[in-house]
Amino acid sequence: MSPEISENSHTLRSNDDYSTVKMASLERLAESVVDELNKAQGESQMGLLPFRRTGNVSEQSVSNTTKSIGRRSSLKNRSVIFGLLAALFLFAVGCSKDGMSPFDPMGPVAAKQLDLFNVLMWVMVIVFVLVEGVLLYAIIRYRKRPGQAKPPQTHGNTSLEITLTIIPTILVLGLAIWSVFTLFDLQDPPEGSPEALHVNVTGHQWWFEFEYPDAGNGKKIITANELRIPVDRPITLSLESDDVIHSFWVPKLAGKLDMIPTHTNEMWFQADSDKINDDLPVTLYGQCAELCGLSHALMKFQVTVMDQADFDSWAAAYGPPPTISARAKAGQAVFAANCTLCHTIDGPDDPVLSASRLTGFLTGGDITPVPAPNLTDLRTRHTLAAGLVDLSETNLLSWLHDPSEIKANNYMSQRAVMYKTETGTSNLTNEEIDALIGYLLDLQ
Amino acid sequence: MAAITSVIPRPTSYEGLWGWMTTVDHKRIAVLYGVTAFIFLLIAGLEAGVIRMQLASADSTLVSPGRFNQMFTMHATTMVFMVIMPLSVSFFNFVIPLAIGARDVAFPRLNALSYWIFLFGGILLHMSFVVDQVPDAGWFSYANLTEKPFSVDRGLDFWSISLLVLGTSSVAGGLNFIVTIINMRAPGMSMMRMPVFVWMTLITSILLVLAFPVITVGLIELTMDRNFGTHFFIPAQGGDPILWQHLFWVFGHPEVYILILPAMGIVSEILPTFSRKPLFGYPFVIFSGIVIAIMGWAVWSHHMFTVGLGPVANSVFTITTMLIAVPTGVKIFNWIGTLWRGALEFTTPMMFALGFVALFIIGGLSGVSHAVSPSDFQQQDTYYIVAHIHYVLFGGSMFGIFAGTYYWFPKITGKMLNETLGKINFWLLFIGMNLTFFPMHFLGLNGMPRRIYTYTAEFGWEYLNQIASFGYLVLLIGILVFMYNVWQSRNSRHVGHDPWDAPGIEWSIASPPPPYNFAEIPQVLGRDHYWIVKENAEAAGTPITGPEPTVDPKSIHMPSPSYWPLFTAVGVALIGGGLLSHFALSFVGGAIAFVGVIGWSNEPAAAPNDHH
Amino acid sequence: MAHAIEHEYTTTGLNHRKMLMWVFLGSDCLFFGSLIATYMVYRGQSLVGPYPVDIINVPVTTISTFVLLLSSFAMVQALAATHADNRRAIVGWLLATAFLGAIFIGFQIVEFNTFKNEGLTLGGNLFGATFFTLTGFHGAHVTLGIIWLVALAILGKKGRLGPNTALDVELCGLYWHFVDIVWIVIFTLLYLIGGFDAGPAPLGG
Repeated sequence: MSPEISENSHTLRSNDDYSTVKMASLERLAESVVDELNKAQGESQMGLLPFRRTGNVSEQSVSNTTKSIGRRSSLKNRSVIFGLLAALFLFAVGCSKDGMSPFDPMGPVAAKQLDLFNVLMWVMVIVFVLVEGVLLYAIIRYRKRPGQAKPPQTHGNTSLEITLTIIPTILVLGLAIWSVFTLFDLQDPPEGSPEALHVNVTGHQWWFEFEYPDAGNGKKIITANELRIPVDRPITLSLESDDVIHSFWVPKLAGKLDMIPTHTNEMWFQADSDKINDDLPVTLYGQCAELCGLSHALMKFQVTVMDQADFDSWAAAYGPPPTISARAKAGQAVFAANCTLCHTIDGPDDPVLSASRLTGFLTGGDITPVPAPNLTDLRTRHTLAAGLVDLSETNLLSWLHDPSEIKANNYMSQRAVMYKTETGTSNLTNEEIDALIGYLLDLQ
Repeated sequence: MAAITSVIPRPTSYEGLWGWMTTVDHKRIAVLYGVTAFIFLLIAGLEAGVIRMQLASADSTLVSPGRFNQMFTMHATTMVFMVIMPLSVSFFNFVIPLAIGARDVAFPRLNALSYWIFLFGGILLHMSFVVDQVPDAGWFSYANLTEKPFSVDRGLDFWSISLLVLGTSSVAGGLNFIVTIINMRAPGMSMMRMPVFVWMTLITSILLVLAFPVITVGLIELTMDRNFGTHFFIPAQGGDPILWQHLFWVFGHPEVYILILPAMGIVSEILPTFSRKPLFGYPFVIFSGIVIAIMGWAVWSHHMFTVGLGPVANSVFTITTMLIAVPTGVKIFNWIGTLWRGALEFTTPMMFALGFVALFIIGGLSGVSHAVSPSDFQQQDTYYIVAHIHYVLFGGSMFGIFAGTYYWFPKITGKMLNETLGKINFWLLFIGMNLTFFPMHFLGLNGMPRRIYTYTAEFGWEYLNQIASFGYLVLLIGILVFMYNVWQSRNSRHVGHDPWDAPGIEWSIASPPPPYNFAEIPQVLGRDHYWIVKENAEAAGTPITGPEPTVDPKSIHMPSPSYWPLFTAVGVALIGGGLLSHFALSFVGGAIAFVGVIGWSNEPAAAPNDHH
Repeated sequence: MAHAIEHEYTTTGLNHRKMLMWVFLGSDCLFFGSLIATYMVYRGQSLVGPYPVDIINVPVTTISTFVLLLSSFAMVQALAATHADNRRAIVGWLLATAFLGAIFIGFQIVEFNTFKNEGLTLGGNLFGATFFTLTGFHGAHVTLGIIWLVALAILGKKGRLGPNTALDVELCGLYWHFVDIVWIVIFTLLYLIGGFDAGPAPLGG
């Protein structure tokens, strides 16, 4: 048995070299808790931690067996801690920086939230290693040996209990106080920030509507599923919902906040140029985070962070397509005849019209108009159907032919008159659809 | 009325199907609860399987989005209300009277009624599959997604009415166990001598009777919105969907402790038994349980951090949620303290109990991380939360329940479950559980929202989802091993009355216990009564070798079997069923329940000539 | 009623059924508490009328409240008669309690009907929904109590009530007094305080 152990201990030693100072301090912490517990249980030969083993135990009559067992459990204990550190490594690897991951924050709000999580994670890891370590140690060290007599019948230790109550209380209260400060700190953009850009966001089943009351020079813009924001400028958002509860979430900019019918929730975030490594514009991802019905999983959106100048020129160019070609002109007629009950393409939506759509939608009925995306700037967007597919002529063609091919549940295929056909596909002719695409995408 | 009710003769048979249907014996009701809840566990497990198979790959089209929503809704609703709670109640039923030295619960027929209502409530909910109008708004069913314009079929009606029926059962059970524990303890068993499991049952029962009325009101309001034209949660008419969230979570957070405290109690029985030393810090374990139960009412809004209640409310709930971690931590320290310098025997129940502690630590730590509200804004409604609740409810509650099953099985049946199979069962569940749910922490931290039926490969979630789905298969095999273990136990030999050398009073009597439990009500000597008894006997030179002697059952006056609980429960179930189909049926149900109550109150608890 | 395990040993000395009733009433407190909370949350939130001030008739309900209070007095007398083993008085007072309760329910039926005619419905506005739900569930409690009282009176008539079975009457009394107290709270909140609310804006917050 013992050569095996020494081999093991050899490998462990060499691992030891890789481990850092943290390792040692963790062991010290574990040691002190174990110490405390030992004291609590009264002085006894059996309660010593193996790696503090001294002559005390070998003086016992059973010294030989105890000793080897002690050594083995010591090794196990160490390998356990190594295992836990390995798990921690996995943890670090497990946290990616992919599109929806908050581990690559691009603004002050997400960054401060991540700061808290990072500290929290270390606290959790340390407590985890300590408590599971002590648990594993107890499991290994105190297993019943053949012929062992009944162990000492201890009932508890009040001062230890109080200590072990006060320590976590201080720990969690510390975290709580920091959380509270962060909460208030993140409530509003810091003093001295540039003037904020305001956006009203409305959640719909299953897409996002963005309204800029003043995108610059008093220009009002309404668009859908793609939020464009200037870099280094606070964005304040008013969140609402038209139907059920949704949740607005761009992990790289800020944590989520629910969108609740009749409540208006306020939040803000900002994209910092010094936190973004790529050239602008960059696209960030967002997704609805509250179950909102059948297509909840498909309710996505994008946030494009751009230079103020790019943003300004996009805002200035916002408006209906110029409609120069004959194809586009034909498409305009198709649009007016088939789509305008729900969609608009003339710039900002008429509030009276959209309110009546909403009422019709909420009261149910079969052919009621539904709130639908404003298509004025469709030609400048990158995606279709709430961020589901890239916006291309082919995809738009297949969408117009049968929207449910792309997005299984959507109100367009269910409610629009043009899809009230036997097959559920559009009753527009191919020419009409082609003209519509030409108009919407401003193709010559 | 009395004429009708006295026409039916009192059941006298204790055998066969009728014996089970009219039984008021707490031990038989415990078995009924356990078997029924286990069947629901299999159903909920299969629903989880559909979820895991769907999510095993990106852009999967295995099930439709609607079906997927139904699966996670039914999985959670079933697990919470029809698996973990009734499995806990199954242990309450079997163990509590035995552990406090009583012959039955305070109200044996009410106890039977609770079971039958639970069974019918569960069946009622699952009728939704028959008509294919399955609830699909999540186990929390946030308004106003649950209102008519967004949920046109009757799925949500099945959900709310079944939960109302199930709630009746839970409250009746809770009332019964409160009275039983407070009023039926054997002489000598003061409150501070009660086994921890009895304490946790008492606390759980108090939470049950106080928390369920709150959700009952919410469910009534939802049902009225959907069926009687009210607008409690419809924003267009001034209703507030957030009120539902408050009602739900004021119930829902105590409910979390209703689910976990019984398992904590079970573990607190098992760890001392197999450490051969008393529970470390008994009063602290008890008081921490009480503190958890009280503070559990003051933390509900941490489920609502992203609702936008404002920084003041979020701060308050951050602090209270943080503080509730302390009594939970105290329990963990005391469990480890119990192991410390003990002589641990790694039997299957002990391994499940140790698994409970190890996994609950993880669930507890991730729970603390939810309390940090600014960071929780990123984790709320992601798979991180899914990971957390499964560490607490599967690693916690279910492991505690498995521990309890292996521990008390020899008392229930007189036969031991196979230890080797038990250990295989443990390791499969332990490994499977970590494979399934640990990756979910990363999925959530990497931004995967909950309750999405599909995802694209671009966000890097597929690999971890595959591990989780593989873990599900391991769990499934683990459950099959458990079923085989129970099945094969019918051939195993009878073990003694006290195979574990346990401290509880229940181990002093024969296995399985006689109908009257105790021929003579014991005089309780201390916290670990039977250890003291055995020690005293040993000291006196007459070690105990067998159970307390049995007597002729006829010499002890016990409650007689009765049709009325089943009869009344049918009425209650029909009231619910009528609301879902034809109102006329509800009136029939009401009439049946009324006759049932009259018959019940005209019938003495024990038939005069029946000395069972 | 079940008598068989009447005299058995209990740890606290309290009868099982009495304790059951107390715990149940505790549970019921939370039930009414939640209904009342719903009413309070929606107080003044109705978007359309009729508003409380338009229809709540405090004087009439004061009378029915007084009747219900009076019934509690009759209940006390019924229990006293049971202890005194006066069979005629038992039946008389139990029926009196039930009768007064029935008058209260009668008032409630008339009130509901009047309100309905004046346009207050479950689906009309939030006030209607919360009002009818809360007072309706209270009325259901009273109705159950009346059925219980009548059942007891029948038992009393048969001579099955007396000092040995006083608990049967006492339990019904506990329930009846509880339902009474709940009504006092409801009357105070819905009539005396909330009865003068007008319009969609909450009065005094």
